Amino acid sequence: MSLRSRPGPELTDAQIEAIVADAIATEASSARAEAAPPSSAIVWWRAQMRARQEAARAVERPLTIVHGLAIACAAGLALSLIGTAVAGVRGSTGWLLGVYQSLRAALAPLSAVDFTSGWMMVPMTAVLVSLVVASLAAVFILVDE
Amino acid sequence: MTFLDVRRLDVEHAAADVALAMDEDAFRAFYDRTAGALWGYLSRISGDRQVADDLLQEAYYRLLKSTTAFESESHRRNYLYRIATNLVNDSRRGARPLFESGIDVTDIPAPEAHATVERRADVRRAMGLLKPRERAMLWLAYAQGSSHSEIAEVLGLKTGSIKLLLFRARRKLAGLLQREVAR
Repeated sequence: MSLRSRPGPELTDAQIEAIVADAIATEASSARAEAAPPSSAIVWWRAQMRARQEAARAVERPLTIVHGLAIACAAGLALSLIGTAVAGVRGSTGWLLGVYQSLRAALAPLSAVDFTSGWMMVPMTAVLVSLVVASLAAVFILVDE
Repeated sequence: MTFLDVRRLDVEHAAADVALAMDEDAFRAFYDRTAGALWGYLSRISGDRQVADDLLQEAYYRLLKSTTAFESESHRRNYLYRIATNLVNDSRRGARPLFESGIDVTDIPAPEAHATVERRADVRRAMGLLKPRERAMLWLAYAQGSSHSEIAEVLGLKTGSIKLLLFRARRKLAGLLQREVAR
């Protein structure tokens, strides 16, 4: 039923229904002609990729939170230690002097030791090698990460 | 095995173990049956072909990710249309004016072309003046042949109210069409 052939103001419900049905049918046929949705294979593949990315992000998120908490705790601990140390230094410089004197007294016997002698070279070398190996191990771990 | 290796394996395992609501064959068959009609719905409800292109894939993705247990093919289809309707409603904020796209005349035989194009333009302008819910309702009823209960399910309305709302929408569209013709 064409509206152009009968544009009268008083239409019955049946006429209205027919006009609307005809108009929507016209648009529906136009939409069918225009429709060019992507293939189902492409849509499936994109959905799979997106779901995998979202799943991977969901796993990584809690670890990031744990890392953040660990860094925050370490920073807090470091700051509290620094604060304590600063307060200690400000509180009594005499305490620091006392520590220095104690250390000096404790290390006094070492001045008698001959570090160039053969029996001292073995432990000294072991300590040196251990330090080098530990440093190398730390470097390898960090590079791996 | 370092902590990072364990984490990498966790991520890879999660990525490989993606659970979608349908297997590939079932999805592709369902998509092939519904995609053309859904594109038509999206393009006519949003009034924008580009929006329809974008929202089509999003609607199917959300369907695949849904955990709803569908009782039948029509239940799944109605759910898909509900997702699509919500996507159009969400995308409408700040969208371009509706129904301004041109009409492709290449598929219309030459002698009928002028009258047909004019009629399509009238229909499109009139539909553009309807409320989105009225457009969706009329499209579902007359282009999709949906029942009142299906329309209610898609639009999130009560089944009992559909008859009256459809009646009003029909009268409004008929009035708008008359006005367009009289111009």
